[in-house]
Amino acid sequence: MESNLKLIFEKGHKQSNRNFIPKMDIKGADIDDLIPKTFQREDLPIPDIPEIEIVRHYLNLSHKNYGVDTGIYPLGSCTMKYNPKINEYVARLPGFSKSHPLQEESKGALELMLDLSKMLCEISGMDGFTLQPAAGAHGELTGLLMIKKYFEAKNLKKDALIVPESAHGTNPASAKMAGFSIINIRSNKDGEIPIDHLKYAMDGENVAGIMLTNPNTLGLFEKNIKTITQIVHDKGGLCYYDGANLNPMLGICRPGDMGFDIIHLNLHKTFSTPHGGGGPGSGPVGVKKELIQFLPDPCIISSKKGFRFRETSETSIGKIKCFWGNFGILVRAYAYLLGLGASGLRRVGETSVLNANYLRVQLQKIYDLPYDRACQHEFVLTDKNLPNEITTEDIAKRILDYGLYAPTIYFPLIISGAMMIEPTETESKASLDNFIAIMSKIYEEASSNPELIRNAPHNTPVKRLDAVLAARKPILHD
Amino acid sequence: MDFVPHDKDAINEMLKVIGVDSINDLYQDIPNDLKINKFNLLEGLSEPDLLKELEKLSDKNKVYSSSFLGAGCYYHYIPSLVDFVISRSEFYTSYTPYQAEASQGYLQAIFEYQSAITRLTGMDVANASMYDGSTALAEAAIISTIITGNNKILLLEGIHPEYLDVLKTYCWGYNVKYELVSEDVLFSKLDGDIASVLFQSPNFFGDIEDVQSLVKKVREFTPKCLIIQVMTDLTCLGILKPPGEMDIDIFVAEGQSLGINPSFGGPGLGIFTAKDKFLRKVPGRLIGKTKEINGEREGFILTLQAREQHIRREKAISNICTNQSLCSLGALIYLISLGKTGLKEIAAQNFQKANYVKTEIGKIEGFKILNQKPIYNEFLVKCPNVDKFIDLCKKANLLPPLKLSKYFGDMNNHALVCVTEMNSNSDIKALLNAAFLSAQKTNRRY
Repeated sequence: MESNLKLIFEKGHKQSNRNFIPKMDIKGADIDDLIPKTFQREDLPIPDIPEIEIVRHYLNLSHKNYGVDTGIYPLGSCTMKYNPKINEYVARLPGFSKSHPLQEESKGALELMLDLSKMLCEISGMDGFTLQPAAGAHGELTGLLMIKKYFEAKNLKKDALIVPESAHGTNPASAKMAGFSIINIRSNKDGEIPIDHLKYAMDGENVAGIMLTNPNTLGLFEKNIKTITQIVHDKGGLCYYDGANLNPMLGICRPGDMGFDIIHLNLHKTFSTPHGGGGPGSGPVGVKKELIQFLPDPCIISSKKGFRFRETSETSIGKIKCFWGNFGILVRAYAYLLGLGASGLRRVGETSVLNANYLRVQLQKIYDLPYDRACQHEFVLTDKNLPNEITTEDIAKRILDYGLYAPTIYFPLIISGAMMIEPTETESKASLDNFIAIMSKIYEEASSNPELIRNAPHNTPVKRLDAVLAARKPILHD
Repeated sequence: MDFVPHDKDAINEMLKVIGVDSINDLYQDIPNDLKINKFNLLEGLSEPDLLKELEKLSDKNKVYSSSFLGAGCYYHYIPSLVDFVISRSEFYTSYTPYQAEASQGYLQAIFEYQSAITRLTGMDVANASMYDGSTALAEAAIISTIITGNNKILLLEGIHPEYLDVLKTYCWGYNVKYELVSEDVLFSKLDGDIASVLFQSPNFFGDIEDVQSLVKKVREFTPKCLIIQVMTDLTCLGILKPPGEMDIDIFVAEGQSLGINPSFGGPGLGIFTAKDKFLRKVPGRLIGKTKEINGEREGFILTLQAREQHIRREKAISNICTNQSLCSLGALIYLISLGKTGLKEIAAQNFQKANYVKTEIGKIEGFKILNQKPIYNEFLVKCPNVDKFIDLCKKANLLPPLKLSKYFGDMNNHALVCVTEMNSNSDIKALLNAAFLSAQKTNRRY
């Protein structure tokens, strides 16, 4: 059988494409006189392809892909909200897209970054920000290195961090990269941090603090958050806030007021910059006053003469990325914040909670909801009680058949068969009702026609793919 | 502006279904003293007013008619095709393709990216991307310590100074020892305890290293140690022998030069490639080809995820999750658009134009070229008066070369000049004229 896939490399023609080569207008030396023959390659196996073939190939590929612009994208903890088109446009203005990171005349970029930092401070209740981290996990690493530096400066050996078992996988992985060992804490029957366990863990001499997501990955707000941060502070520890779930807090309450010392934000979640299929993102890190000195180099300083970068400081953790961060993403987030303003932001927070609770109440009539209380921006269902041993994965794949995207599945790890659902504030009631109707239909199918679901998806470009085969015999290029 | 689609009726209906009177009732878990009363932010803007504000800011960043600045970020021609493809919102508004069957388009594109990068670099395997060249290098260094069990790395002078700074931060975090060495003493430092030797070629100052003899010598001294190369402008691979043909273990690069706008330094593209035998130590996402479970058709899927943080948590190879996917897609379209003919000619033009300027500037009295090795599109020159040279470039509407004093305190009259296919004959004349005038002693204004 002929393969169903045609890679771009199979579309090569003998005719070479010269559309993108500027006219050579100086008399250059012979290449062999500029670089020894032994330094040169013999073959370059990239085909020459006519422009129209390239356009058609990728246009057709785009048809085999699902984005927020296609429909609801209820991936929990990913905050797949609408990405306003004006933000794409402004990021491409020549002063932003064509400016060089080392050019001196860049007042507009610096002003934008400084202003964005100030807005993020106001939103999160922190005192200073770095905009350099390229993604959430990169922000985590940056924040944790600051914790490391903080204790080094105090000459204290603190090399362990408390991380709840419900935390995103990046938390423990980032902690390890910053040289910390992990102390796991399991949440209690309310889905929250058990205070007595926390106290016990904080008794350890070498414990630097805690990494926390609030609302947590069950979509629940930690009611005892002030007690938690107080316990950590009383033992001299620091509190790190994973900002992946900040969306429902916008305009409602601030991590800085909860007692957090360091926070990272995901501009590609809460602040509407597109995920781009997995990046580029941006993970700014905010800190309280006493930690500003440890922020990575360089920082932007505003003085009477205007804005400039403070290149290095003695106390900083150093550089964590070349140049100044994913600036193009910062432009989009800045435009989003200017557009929304104070009341728009509050509306984001409130509506994300309204939408999630509406889905929760409707879906818990059908599916198992392990934590039955008001959620924030997301909630977790399970595959418990599903007929005919239908699993979470089966449900997810069947959702694709109806032309929608599936929730985050099998996360958080503390819930067996988890389906983590986050609709975001930009879904209309009609869109939510459609999702509810499809989830009900799938439940009925699970009873009446389990094979249909077990073999789903049927309507996608390919049927369920073999992940085990992919890992056993890796084919990673043509 | 506002992107919430509900009217009042919808909100009321939803509240009724939930069984609460107001949205505030849904925030009952939040202690009252934590709720904020007032946000110290301005009120929102409409789209036309927002556009005005952003245009004002954009105009405060100068855009020059031509650039002679590189140093890790390059101006090459970007085919219109690139923005066309990355602007398809099926691509840019999607998430990491966890649900493979609904993401075949993007998965295939990134598989093609991985393939295009292995074809360009000659390496066995390429991942889906890292944040940028500097973090790709830092993670490569850390991985070399995991692979070898050794804890010290050697850095050859000539690596981009910002990459070095990033590397130092990562090494401090991971407790890895490093030493910056010159080529003269490199071999005296090589012993069985070294995890890797890291070098850049073409290096920060523009020199193309003799990679083949360097690799051979390192292998003679210590066979166990990994050799890691980094590159900041990949267009040179249109002509230069690829790292995969020179026994490089891990090759990393900044991919911005492949069809990605400078955007004041980001987002760019971290390229990570390695020999097959290190496959299971490669950080980040990998897209693999597979088959349907109950069928014959082929498809693409995220694979070897047992290396990654969401499965392995603190035992993962790296913490990376979100990467720079859309930039990978852009780089793929760039490579495919140019094809081998375009890539070879672009590289040739960069070689020829930069070497031409290097020769011509070297003829001007007072200027001294410092490169002893062949160069690609950048070179280092000692100027009679670097400030005057820079200033005259700006007056001619040229983005001037880099003043080396930014990174190296003792190089206070040095400039790093970058010449690409984008610099026309008249731009080059204007640059040479600025150089010539800057060497004149009579102009007292300076």
